[in-house]
Amino acid sequence: MKTVLGLFRYSPSFRLGAIILFLVLVLLILSFFSPYPPDKRRVVPRNEPPSLEYVMGTNSQGQDVFWMLTFAVRNSLLVAGLAVLIGRGIGVFLGLISGYLGGTWDRVLSAIVDSFIVIPRLPLLILIAAMVRGQMTIIGLGILLGLLDWAFPSKRYRSQILSLKERDFTQTAIFSGMRTFKIVSQEHLPFIIPFLLADIVSGFLFAIGMEVTLAIFGLADMNSQTIGTMIYWGNYYQALLTNKVWVLAAPIGASIIVVVGFYLVSVGLTTYLDPRTRLARLQVKG
Amino acid sequence: MHKKLLAFLAVSILTALVWAQPSGLPVDVPREELFVADQIYRYSNPGDYNLWMGGQTPHRHALMMETLWYRDQETGERLMGAAVSDPEYNDDFTTMTVHLRDNLLWSDGVPFSADDLVYTVQKINDTDGLTGSGGWKAQLNQYMDSVEKIDDTTVVFNLKESNPRFHSLFETRWNGVYMMPKHVIENIDDLATNILENPVVLGAYKPIQFDPTGYWELYERRDDWENTPAGIITGNPGPKYVMTIFYGDSAKKAIAMSRGELDVYFDADYEAFQTTLDTTPTARSWYTEFPWAYPNEVSTRQLVFNQESADGLYANKDVRWALALAINIVELQTDYIGGVAKVTPMPVPPTASLTKLYLDPMEDWLQGLQIDLGNGEMYTPYDPTIPEQIASWAEGQGYTVPGEPRDVFGTGWWKYDPEAAEKLLVNNGFSRGGDGKWLKPDGTAWKIQIISPPDENDAFRMANAAADMWSEFGIDVDLQGPERSVVDQNRWVGQFEVSTPWYSFVQASGDSWPESRGWHPQYYIPNGEDFRSKGGTNEARINDPKIGEFIDAMASVDPSSPENIQITQDFLKYFTEEMYFITTISFKKFVTWDERYWTGFPTSENPDYMPLYWFHGGKFAFQSLKPAQ
Amino acid sequence: MKLLRTFILPRIVQYLIVIFVGITLTFLIPRLSPINPVDNALGRLTAFQTMSPEATVALRESLMDLYGLNGNLLQQYFSFWKRVVAFDLGPSFTVFPTPVTKLIGSSIGWTIGLLSLSIVIAWILGLILGTLAGFFPNSWWARTMENSLIVVYPIPYYIVAFVLLMLLTYYLPIFPLVGGSKGAPGFTWSYLSSLVYYGFLPALSLIIGGVAFRFIISKALTSTERSSDYVRFAEMAALPKHKILFSYLIRNTLLPQVTDLGLSLGLIFEGALITEAVYGYPGIGSLLLSAINSADYNVIMGITLLSIFGIATASLLVDLSYPLIDPRVRYS
Repeated sequence: MKTVLGLFRYSPSFRLGAIILFLVLVLLILSFFSPYPPDKRRVVPRNEPPSLEYVMGTNSQGQDVFWMLTFAVRNSLLVAGLAVLIGRGIGVFLGLISGYLGGTWDRVLSAIVDSFIVIPRLPLLILIAAMVRGQMTIIGLGILLGLLDWAFPSKRYRSQILSLKERDFTQTAIFSGMRTFKIVSQEHLPFIIPFLLADIVSGFLFAIGMEVTLAIFGLADMNSQTIGTMIYWGNYYQALLTNKVWVLAAPIGASIIVVVGFYLVSVGLTTYLDPRTRLARLQVKG
Repeated sequence: MHKKLLAFLAVSILTALVWAQPSGLPVDVPREELFVADQIYRYSNPGDYNLWMGGQTPHRHALMMETLWYRDQETGERLMGAAVSDPEYNDDFTTMTVHLRDNLLWSDGVPFSADDLVYTVQKINDTDGLTGSGGWKAQLNQYMDSVEKIDDTTVVFNLKESNPRFHSLFETRWNGVYMMPKHVIENIDDLATNILENPVVLGAYKPIQFDPTGYWELYERRDDWENTPAGIITGNPGPKYVMTIFYGDSAKKAIAMSRGELDVYFDADYEAFQTTLDTTPTARSWYTEFPWAYPNEVSTRQLVFNQESADGLYANKDVRWALALAINIVELQTDYIGGVAKVTPMPVPPTASLTKLYLDPMEDWLQGLQIDLGNGEMYTPYDPTIPEQIASWAEGQGYTVPGEPRDVFGTGWWKYDPEAAEKLLVNNGFSRGGDGKWLKPDGTAWKIQIISPPDENDAFRMANAAADMWSEFGIDVDLQGPERSVVDQNRWVGQFEVSTPWYSFVQASGDSWPESRGWHPQYYIPNGEDFRSKGGTNEARINDPKIGEFIDAMASVDPSSPENIQITQDFLKYFTEEMYFITTISFKKFVTWDERYWTGFPTSENPDYMPLYWFHGGKFAFQSLKPAQ
Repeated sequence: MKLLRTFILPRIVQYLIVIFVGITLTFLIPRLSPINPVDNALGRLTAFQTMSPEATVALRESLMDLYGLNGNLLQQYFSFWKRVVAFDLGPSFTVFPTPVTKLIGSSIGWTIGLLSLSIVIAWILGLILGTLAGFFPNSWWARTMENSLIVVYPIPYYIVAFVLLMLLTYYLPIFPLVGGSKGAPGFTWSYLSSLVYYGFLPALSLIIGGVAFRFIISKALTSTERSSDYVRFAEMAALPKHKILFSYLIRNTLLPQVTDLGLSLGLIFEGALITEAVYGYPGIGSLLLSAINSADYNVIMGITLLSIFGIATASLLVDLSYPLIDPRVRYS
């Protein structure tokens, strides 16, 4: 709590990011109070521009854009969250093993990781999504994205640890007889945690971007509201050409706000948690 | 430092903008001599003009290729192509004689003659691996014994058995056997691998330039265009140049038209068409005003039940009727389709000629049709006032209806009567659960699964309408809209309950057999296997010997005889009574053109030809064009 | 010699394993697809043509044969390897019998041209701007740039591309809607200038994201270096700023950036799938997309193969040069 407050005070980007994410959270919670089920058509007048009654207007199938958006944000975050959980889970685990155990472990794991890295992800994703079209669900999409986004992170964790191991203070600690666990938890973790946080955010960015991309190609769960499917159907019914900008502006704006919010928070966090800049900050304050 | 960089950036952007010539067209041809047509898709083998080989034919065959006869989809009439008169059969339909025009020239000046026709037929028959002609080859092998030249303009086909429809190989719906220049092709070693650069053509246009990346092609009118079928028939030179270009989705095509870089485009969706009207004052479709679109492509849209899905739930005629009565056709045609297609209760599109042959004569029967709601209660489902109801909706929208409602909006349809539907279901053991939702006779919740490809606008919107109306009626509906190739794959093997394909049970000529024969029970394949395994078209898995009897009866009669029409009417009555599938509307096409540079395209005011320019017979639309000034 | 045995050889063995696994996976995955290329071709051929049932069946048989899809998976797998070794990727199914190598050959140039230029331009711009911003962190322009690029960086690429497309072809109709060039290819002014004109918008969309990413990285690197001792000593010694910047700072931050550039150039072969789809730009991205939609196995495998080679080779080279760049990491 104290950390958060401190962050809030010292880091303008964290402050802005946190406010944005709070708004996103409110939007997400609102989806549980929506007056209409998310996929119901013809519940409000069609093609109304934004007004007091319809904050973000309505689309050509008679759906309220604002309430659709609340579901979309919720589902998109669900997809991304799931993807991050799975992808980083695998990535951190393999990266740590590879980095610390070294030797045969490292060689075998690296070979696996490297094989996955060279397989082009986007085409593979599109191929798999094309194979299960019609059966794709939000959960399935999250898992799929997670399973495809662990190789690069794992390689990064591995090299991060390798470089930590080579640093002077590790060597010093080893020579002074410190136990491995202690070295890891006391000396390395402070370096790895900000890295992990930043990495989680980049995982979110990847997953949200991929969800949008797949939806654009009509390959996501097209019957659920997500940021991507809202853009797809908005385009499908030619929202821009028929001057119903609000139908597309809502999901596009939401996607920008969500990713920027996450990103700002991560920038704030890394600057705060990075021991070297923290030192600098203390000196300034001191 | 950074200022220099910014300046450098600004300069480079500006330079690029200066390069940006106002015309975004990729060829340097005077715009007033050039007609720009939508290419529908990007060619993956640019520069390959061997249409006997590849499948990439749209508009290319209209411009370059000729066959013997063209059946116009709008008028239902036969236009003479390379032939000069109708096909002549002997009494038992075992020979067909063709008389050819004597004034046609190939684009290199060599006259077209009977030798070319005989060579074409034999070459296709003898050559393996001509994928684009595979269908012709298989049918020639099946029906034809031999072909012989009598004189320079007369050819006789000897058939293996009696076949009154052999000529349809050489008469277009979509296309007909493309004539080959014997003097060119006989010097080519392997037609199956040659791409025929700089082709010698019999059509009025020859390709002169193409985009190596496949986005566009440029054609030039032949100087001797008066020696081509389209030139002879229309007597009009047509534009000096024709370019086909692929811009992408409807939105991009609409943008291109507003920029003056596209003169006609294929099928816009409703929204893109409205945008085009707003942004391009000179743009129009078949009608100048509402309902704009071309309504007469010979095909209809339907909701087709897989009879062997869901434990045979949809094999029950009453269930199919109940679902038909739960659809509000007026709402479907207006709210979902925008009021721009014609309604029809049978797989027969209400074009002028087919209405005369089928829908008008059968109207009394439709009005008198009764179905049993159960317990002997007879019910009259047909509502002849549907066109008037749509017309009054249109007037409510501020539109003027251009003509009689029945001519503009099609025929009557089934009443929207949830109560009658309810009775039908209840009598078949269905019931409503506590939440008002329908339960199947076995007591479990009823969920209908519909598949429909979103890229096919009207089908998908019709599916949306059905999904909304059936769920209002209390049935859970799961509407899936995956990519077309996936939809097709699911249809083929029967992984669906309701699908939205297009059919017409009759051709523009009124003949039904070629279109309906695939439903003969002899081609029936059970669910789970590809329904085309024996070559049939029966995705509904209907296995009904009575249908076979009708089809056999048609096969044995002359397609142009009144007898054939009578059998077809009886067949349609039977099919409709069974409600084998729910036909809703005819095919409409927003073929949209811009009169900024060219006029004379077929319209409702001069409906001489079909405006379907991408068909083989679309050549007459190109040839009829005149400069706007 | 020891270096060769303990460091280089294992890398190369690993490289080969990686390629083997990758290729096997790309052979298998399209074959699990529910879409069958023969059915697809048949669907295309029968969509408009009215064909007799007997003819449809005969056509189907001949297509199976032509496409080489008879035989079980294992047989197909072996014949696939035979062809890969001979650099024969087989014919495309959708434009049968055009060889896949020809299709890839005619589209790869567009992708390489567009991507390598955009990547290099973005890399240079981002590097320079980021380094400057890191060196003068308190100037107004550094802050403005940072604030705007931080917002741009995380936006999903499709959205950037789509917004640019609508802005500059519809609301301001400046750029062309589709294609890669004008007229017939040749060393003419009109053709060459059209390459720039047609490629501008797709390149711009790629550069925006690339610059933002590179800017953020370089700025972070520069800030770190700037607080290091040698820079402080140099400043105390009153060396001119540009001298510090160019002689010391950039040289030290450049190495990791160069490896990064190498890796991202390896990604070129994956194709700019979204870019090419949004802008209707020719290239292997759009080729791949249409191949996936029509289950054109051979094209899918050909492009995937190429991209696996590209990425694997790039990362092998980067790996091999690692000890040269960062002496702290040595293979022991």
